[in-house]
Amino acid sequence: MRVALAEDSVLLREGLARLLDDAGFDVVAQCENADDLLLKVRSFPPDVAIVDIRLPPTHNDEGLRAALEIRSGHPSVGVLVLSQYVEVGLALKLLADSAEGVGYLLKDRISDVDEFVAAVRRVGEGGSALDPIIVSTLLARQRPGDPIAQLTPREREVLELMASGSSNQGIADSLVITVRAVEKYVSSIFGKLGLPSTGSESRRVLAVLLYLRS
Amino acid sequence: MAVPAIARLDMDPHDARGPPNLVVIAGVALVGLAAATYSFTSALRNPAVGAELGEALVIALLSNWLTASYVLCGLFAWWRRPESRFGPLLVAAGFANFVSTLSWTTNDLTFTLGQALDLVPPVIFLHVFLAFPSGRLSSPLERGLVIGAYVAAVALQLNRMVFGGFGENNLLEFAPHEDAALLTLRVALLTMSALCLFGATLLLVRMRGRARPLRRSSVVLVDLFAVGLVMIAWLYVSASFGGPFVQEIRWATFATLGVAPLVFLFALLNARLARSAVGDLVLELRAEPPPADLRDSLARALNDPSLELAYWLPDFGVFANLDGRPVELPDLEGRTTTLIDRDGEHVAALIHDPALEDEPELLDAVQAAAGIALEYNRLQAELRARLDELRGSRARIVEAAQHERQRLERNLHDGAQQRLIALSLELSMLQARIGSDPEAKAGIERARRGIAASLAELREIAHGLHPAVVSAHGLAVALEQLAARAPVPVELTVDVDGRLPEPLEVAAYYVVSESLANVAKHAQASGASVDVVQDGGELVLEIVDDGVGGADSERGSGLRGLADRVEALNGRLRVWTPLKGGTRVRAEIPCV
Repeated sequence: MRVALAEDSVLLREGLARLLDDAGFDVVAQCENADDLLLKVRSFPPDVAIVDIRLPPTHNDEGLRAALEIRSGHPSVGVLVLSQYVEVGLALKLLADSAEGVGYLLKDRISDVDEFVAAVRRVGEGGSALDPIIVSTLLARQRPGDPIAQLTPREREVLELMASGSSNQGIADSLVITVRAVEKYVSSIFGKLGLPSTGSESRRVLAVLLYLRS
Repeated sequence: MAVPAIARLDMDPHDARGPPNLVVIAGVALVGLAAATYSFTSALRNPAVGAELGEALVIALLSNWLTASYVLCGLFAWWRRPESRFGPLLVAAGFANFVSTLSWTTNDLTFTLGQALDLVPPVIFLHVFLAFPSGRLSSPLERGLVIGAYVAAVALQLNRMVFGGFGENNLLEFAPHEDAALLTLRVALLTMSALCLFGATLLLVRMRGRARPLRRSSVVLVDLFAVGLVMIAWLYVSASFGGPFVQEIRWATFATLGVAPLVFLFALLNARLARSAVGDLVLELRAEPPPADLRDSLARALNDPSLELAYWLPDFGVFANLDGRPVELPDLEGRTTTLIDRDGEHVAALIHDPALEDEPELLDAVQAAAGIALEYNRLQAELRARLDELRGSRARIVEAAQHERQRLERNLHDGAQQRLIALSLELSMLQARIGSDPEAKAGIERARRGIAASLAELREIAHGLHPAVVSAHGLAVALEQLAARAPVPVELTVDVDGRLPEPLEVAAYYVVSESLANVAKHAQASGASVDVVQDGGELVLEIVDDGVGGADSERGSGLRGLADRVEALNGRLRVWTPLKGGTRVRAEIPCV
């Protein structure tokens, strides 16, 4: 799987490249800024682009804008945004139309090598990866007559993993249960929340996200 | 009420002349009347006058009417308007006219003198017209024209007299020659005619150039008298080449020139009529409520729509408008500044059309009437200037603090946070490599957890220093997180077009953040709403909860800080918190 990187800190950029290389990825581009990344993506589209949200020259929203541009201009390229702050508003912006091939993680997550690598792979394959902080913030959000409260603790765990982009297999592995059991939990959750059951795993991320936002 | 003293900026102190002595005036008047009478009787006694000009009586009467009316009107103007040179100029014009009528005498000397000055009266009229109303010629061109015309009038006439044709009383007839006499006559008359036309053109240009709405109709009337100059020019050309309407135009010229001094006088003294405008001003200033802008009232009273008012702010050492903004006193042609002083201190400056200088009495009266109101407005301007100054310094303080916090946040982000993440990554990769030593692995895991905890803390600190997400991604994005993390359900509505200036977004973020924190701490609410709307030039924020309400001193301090932020941006923060009625925080901040 080919990866392009955009991160202005040399230390982190090289660390990330080494990590991905060790994990068997093919790091095809290491960029310092958003323009360079966009150029590389245009000329030689990778499977996934990993973008720091804060890039030169202004360190404001260059990274996010590059990510959105890749999402609209190169739908086949997965985009994983890394940031030192995760914000619900930014997640909503990134996943505005679809949760396919998109990820938004706290930068700290890269040191959880196995999980990080899995997330990169998922995004590269068209799946999604949403930081657990976002998911838990949204789950904790107060809403009148909250249907979340009707979920069993197990269903809640499944919902969290589902919202952060895990596949049924991934959920099954995490919770050490069977995939069939996961499927049962998922349909029960959708029933309780009054959500129409959607086939694709990434589409249900968006559905859950929008549900939690409202 | 003390009458404010008045000082004109552009006035030479030597010009501040008092009115002339009444004895002097009476004396000059008597001399003028005596001169006119003498001239009149000379004309009647001299049969040549009648033969040459036709109706001797009429001619003598008209000519001496000119002498008498110019002298008397000039004296009156001098007495009432000692600051203007126009009165003395009129008197001089009257006497010059008298001297030219000496050509009616039969004494050789006086005849020759009178004849020599025969062409001077038109130049005097030219001079008077151009010098109205100040009595001074305003441009080098005008000065050159008048001086040249005087020289030409005398020189050409003297030249002509040498060749004879003036009868036996001419002392200068040295070389009688009929053709030369005719030629020099024509040259003289054509030259004078050209000079008169040039003068009339100058007047016309000046009239157009200062098409001032405030010029009183009488002044315009005076300008129209320039047509008299054109008629003189016509007379001269006709006299030398025998053009038509000579007689009619001659009468018309006499009439025009004869009425002119009365019109001049009327125009000069017309300020009295403007007194009624001062009366209106007094009533206006007494009205309840008083007029919002004194400038408009003064502009009406002075009949000068271009009037500007500037108030003196002694502590700032500047003139300022009613809003306390500094005003430069113009140093331009076409604007005149009149300072209004009281007790030796400036109060205000009137920046007005120079034509108002012709009406100093009106200026004085208007200033006297507006005295208290001017002082009141001056204090208002001073207060606003101070408020502006305070607001500016508060904005600078808030901005400096904000700037510093932003810098610290960036340092943390680019420094410690990045390095800790890289360190944690390094440890993970080390952990993977060291293989099977469980103790070492556990140690590394502990270290990584420690780093993770530090990073979480640093993130909190960085966010507390400055909400980077606001600067980078805007208010709408940042508020999502606040709404999501609030302890009660929050209905969030953001209707903002694109990005707003950063200080505004940051202030708005803090208003929402602090208000929601208060909801969490004090309100015991079951829900809240946050509405952010860009309404015209303002950002309006409203945070409403359905909690217990009731003012609370602990809540006050946080709100005070918010109010400081909002007010530093020229905005307003208001809080309604009736007991058991929920709390409503509303901030309105201009989007500039």
